[in-house]
Amino acid sequence: MSEKEKVLNPDPGVCVPWKVKMEEFGEFPGNEEIAKKEWEKLDDFAYNFIWFWAQR
Amino acid sequence: MNEKEMLYQKRLERYTTAMDCGKPDMVPVAFGIGEWIVKYTGTTLQEIYYDLDKSNNIVSEMLPGLDFDIFKGGPSLWWPPMFDAMGSKLYKFPGIGVDENSTFQFNEQEYMKADDYDEFIASPTEWLVNHYLPNISKELENPGSYRSTVALIKGAAAFAISGGMMGAAWGKWTVDHGIVGQGTGFTKAPFDTLGDALRGMKGVLLDLRRRPEKVLAACDAITPHNVNCGVAGAGADTRFPCFAPLHRGAYPFLNPHQWDTFYWPSLKATIEGLWAKGKRMLFYAEGDWTPYLEKIAELPDKSIIFQIDTTDAKKAKEILGGRFCLQGGMPTTLLTYGTPEKIKEHVKRTFDELAGDGGFILDSGGVVMGDAKKENVIAMIEAAREYGTY
Repeated sequence: MSEKEKVLNPDPGVCVPWKVKMEEFGEFPGNEEIAKKEWEKLDDFAYNFIWFWAQR
Repeated sequence: MNEKEMLYQKRLERYTTAMDCGKPDMVPVAFGIGEWIVKYTGTTLQEIYYDLDKSNNIVSEMLPGLDFDIFKGGPSLWWPPMFDAMGSKLYKFPGIGVDENSTFQFNEQEYMKADDYDEFIASPTEWLVNHYLPNISKELENPGSYRSTVALIKGAAAFAISGGMMGAAWGKWTVDHGIVGQGTGFTKAPFDTLGDALRGMKGVLLDLRRRPEKVLAACDAITPHNVNCGVAGAGADTRFPCFAPLHRGAYPFLNPHQWDTFYWPSLKATIEGLWAKGKRMLFYAEGDWTPYLEKIAELPDKSIIFQIDTTDAKKAKEILGGRFCLQGGMPTTLLTYGTPEKIKEHVKRTFDELAGDGGFILDSGGVVMGDAKKENVIAMIEAAREYGTY
């Protein structure tokens, strides 16, 4: 199994954890919290969209 | 504070007092403008479903003439264009698959196969993306293809667009008419998440015999997600309950042993998880839940609003009353087959039996059907004001 196919088993409200994304960024010279906050907002939107279809 | 803001505060106080099992100035009334309105508007059900502006305008035109406290929403439960964009197999909507004036139909299938349990349990969200969405969506049958990618873009955009439109409409109704919404957030019993959309009724009932340990493990895996869905995000509203339509837990879909073993533990854990975050559940007990009232009474005080559909109302009052707010009391069949006079008699009797010491909200027992009569629905809220003062 390649690194990209690794099972993430994300927590509720999460699709791709920020921690995983940070590892992929490698060096992050700016303010991590600014980027993290917006990443998690969009991630939560995606999570709600995905689970919407299962909660019928 | 203007007149509408004062009205909002009065209704909010009425609602929150009843939710906390107290006695407000009068019995709060919950009301929704359902599919029954369509035959009075000169439109088709398809138009109402597809055109959100038209649907919301109908609500805006009706609200000024109605006096109730808690608004349950307008006539279109879903926005079919989003489902069309994804090529969804889940529903047949008015005008597509069924007649333009027929209500929607759920197309129940085993969208999750018995062999999928382990992968689903290992990572539910990833399994939904990798397998469930392609299984339920014709446009996603070839993940990574042009059609699939476009469909996902359109589907997610539709989700955001419809959410924004409905948010704006609710904001306008609140400001213009002083209405209070019933709830925020949507969740289900974990067994229903599994048994409704994933395995289907036939699939999940076979699983109870053939792979019961998988059913339990799947319900456990779903539970934290259903807590999250009910709360609707960190820092979200906790004043209002989340809506939880409950299906397979109604008697007699499951026998009491099955209910105790497979249905109740994960639903109870979901409710307790929500309550730990300060979030109450509108326990929308569709059908008859009379045999399970003693179990439901084990929940933390005030953690649910119990919806009375065909559950024995007197027993619900006896077992749950004082510790949990009760909502309902008006049979949906009476709204279709009754008369305004019979509705008024029923409201009076319901108040005498269920509302005397507070902790009660008048509402239709279940979803009001499209063949309900407008004069009956209006008679319900008029009678509530006539007889509802404490």
